[in-house]
Amino acid sequence: MSSASVAAPVKAPVVALDRISKSYENKVAVQDLSLQIDPGTMFGLLGPNGSGKTSTIRMMIGITMPDSGSVTMFGKPYARESLRRVGYLPEERGLYKKMKVMEQLVFLGQLRGLDPAVAGKRAHEWCERLQILDASQKKTEELSKGMQQKIQFIATLMHDPDLVVMDEPFSGLDPVNTSLLQDTLIELKKAGRAILFSTHRMDQVEKLCDSICLIHRGHAVLSGGMREVKSRYERDRVVINFEGDVSFLQHPAIKSFKNYSGQAEIQLHPHANAQDLLRAATEMATIFRFELMEPSLEEIFIRTVGEKIDA
Amino acid sequence: MRNILLIARREYLEQIRGKAFKVTTILIPVVFMGLMAAAILPSKYWGTGKHIVVAAQDPAFAASLRDQLAADKDAKVTVDVLAPAAPADRQALHAEMDRKQIDGFLWIDSAGDKPQVTYVSRSAGDFTTDESINSAVNQALVEQRLVKRDIPPTDVAQLTDKVDIKTMVYRAGRETPSSAMSTLFFGEGMAFLLTFSIVMYGMNVGRSVIQEKTSRIFEVMLATVKATDMLAGKLIGIGAVGITQIAIWIALGGILASSALVESWMAGAAKPQVSIVEVILLCLYFLLGYALYSTFFAGLAATCDTEQELQQYAPLAAVPVWLSFGLFVYILGNPNSIWSILVSMFPPTAPITMAFRFTAQFPPAWQIALSLGLMVLSIYIVLWLSSRIYRVGILMYGKRATVPEMLRWLRYS
Repeated sequence: MSSASVAAPVKAPVVALDRISKSYENKVAVQDLSLQIDPGTMFGLLGPNGSGKTSTIRMMIGITMPDSGSVTMFGKPYARESLRRVGYLPEERGLYKKMKVMEQLVFLGQLRGLDPAVAGKRAHEWCERLQILDASQKKTEELSKGMQQKIQFIATLMHDPDLVVMDEPFSGLDPVNTSLLQDTLIELKKAGRAILFSTHRMDQVEKLCDSICLIHRGHAVLSGGMREVKSRYERDRVVINFEGDVSFLQHPAIKSFKNYSGQAEIQLHPHANAQDLLRAATEMATIFRFELMEPSLEEIFIRTVGEKIDA
Repeated sequence: MRNILLIARREYLEQIRGKAFKVTTILIPVVFMGLMAAAILPSKYWGTGKHIVVAAQDPAFAASLRDQLAADKDAKVTVDVLAPAAPADRQALHAEMDRKQIDGFLWIDSAGDKPQVTYVSRSAGDFTTDESINSAVNQALVEQRLVKRDIPPTDVAQLTDKVDIKTMVYRAGRETPSSAMSTLFFGEGMAFLLTFSIVMYGMNVGRSVIQEKTSRIFEVMLATVKATDMLAGKLIGIGAVGITQIAIWIALGGILASSALVESWMAGAAKPQVSIVEVILLCLYFLLGYALYSTFFAGLAATCDTEQELQQYAPLAAVPVWLSFGLFVYILGNPNSIWSILVSMFPPTAPITMAFRFTAQFPPAWQIALSLGLMVLSIYIVLWLSSRIYRVGILMYGKRATVPEMLRWLRYS
């Protein structure tokens, strides 16, 4: 074994927003928001409708300019040329309805700097990968919404961008196609691409993202690595599968519970001892499963936003 | 520039392949030809195949009138004579009209110094027939009066021999044949082509903006292309469609003009004279007119959410075009009046009114230069305003923008 150790190269963030703000007349869309996305990671931009997610993304890719703050992309101050290395799938997305699928993909590929032959070859490969090759000579308006979404997905990725920005990418997709596209994104992440997700679907973010930023009314209210964010919150939820006497659900450690036949979902009081509850439960009923769970992202979101509203 | 051309190419191909392009390319010349034919044919073949009766107390006058009416070979009118006619015959002629045996009759009452002539017809408002009868009656009357003054019939024929006036127009140091009728048709044709193209393609740009807005493609595009490049590509692409269509029409027109049918219609009529300078200027006015109107429509469309909303604005935007048309006859008659000069300087009306002035009398070079300069300046201003409204408007969905909102958009960077 070699004794020499090589320090891992420090990777510059693919994109960094530094205290950006944007207002429209009297409405503040985004206020002092900072975030950064590293290569080979998936980043979740979370928030309810109207919280400022789309405004943030539009400033990130130069569709609108921030009133203050700065955007750095690929290590340099934002410049339009950088967009050749970005794939953007907006929430309000569409296609030219009268164009044939392949024609449309080649056109969009060319706009992103690809040569027509290369664009055609890549479009063909992607159509094959996402199982829509049969539709490639059809007009877009003849396709189902799900099929059109796959084409938009291909149009976003076919120029092999280093930064992929997706606003609600899975909305309207069936579970099979959602899974297909999620797998594709995971492969891209493994290949070193940086991916930004904007969504209000917490379950998807929880499953896919390495880091998150939670926006509420234009402010970042919670941000950091997924594990680190979750570790800030106590494991105060218990799921018990049991058979027998249910009176253990009256235990003083329990704040609230939902009892379905044979499964109880319990919320503990802050700092309550779960082990005491386990002991009490085993004395009264047969326990098949006792799991102390960390709060879901959705709960963290509701708690955080709730705190901000209360504050 | 590469992206502008890519967008222009896409826009061009989509429009050219569309059904609307094919339909309008065929339908517009057909409608135009129909209008022209409707204007030319009745005057050429007045009363074709009509059967009329000349009823007079004086058989000689009736015969003379019949000869005059029959002299019009194109009309092919059948003229019967009823002379000497008595008042009771008028009832009989009415009965013949009821039975549709005759189309009308000329009743000539020679009592007194001046004969009273009445033309009774089954159809009202037949102006061309009225005019031809009027001319024939007066000609016959002059001949009769001369004969009554003992002038020999050969001298009468010589004295009343008609002369055709040949009209020439003097331009660029030479005289060329021209006629008021051909000038009128040419001016009308050019104005129709310009008006139709400018308004139609301007609206097409607006419609294309709305379609992209409805399909939500804008944000996808804006992540790669600048809004101004998108607008420029669209204007170039649809403008090229317009040029293609006009080129097809001109080619078709050229083929038709040399065809036997049109030759026979236009027989004897002087062809309008157009110089190459006028053709170049007309093309320039088309391009500038299109740029002005389409830029305006693009900005307008960006503030609308549906094609229906855009349609509501369209008549307002087209007012100057129709105003120009309304001034057609005035400008042809008074090409150098202050009003003709003013409307040909005002950018929204300049392209069409200048086309009228070209056909009437070629305007001084400084007026053309000033009018072109003002058009370029106005295009620059409208482009500046429209591109700012367009940039913000295309990302606004769900409601029509108000004027204060549009003013705010102008300030956004």
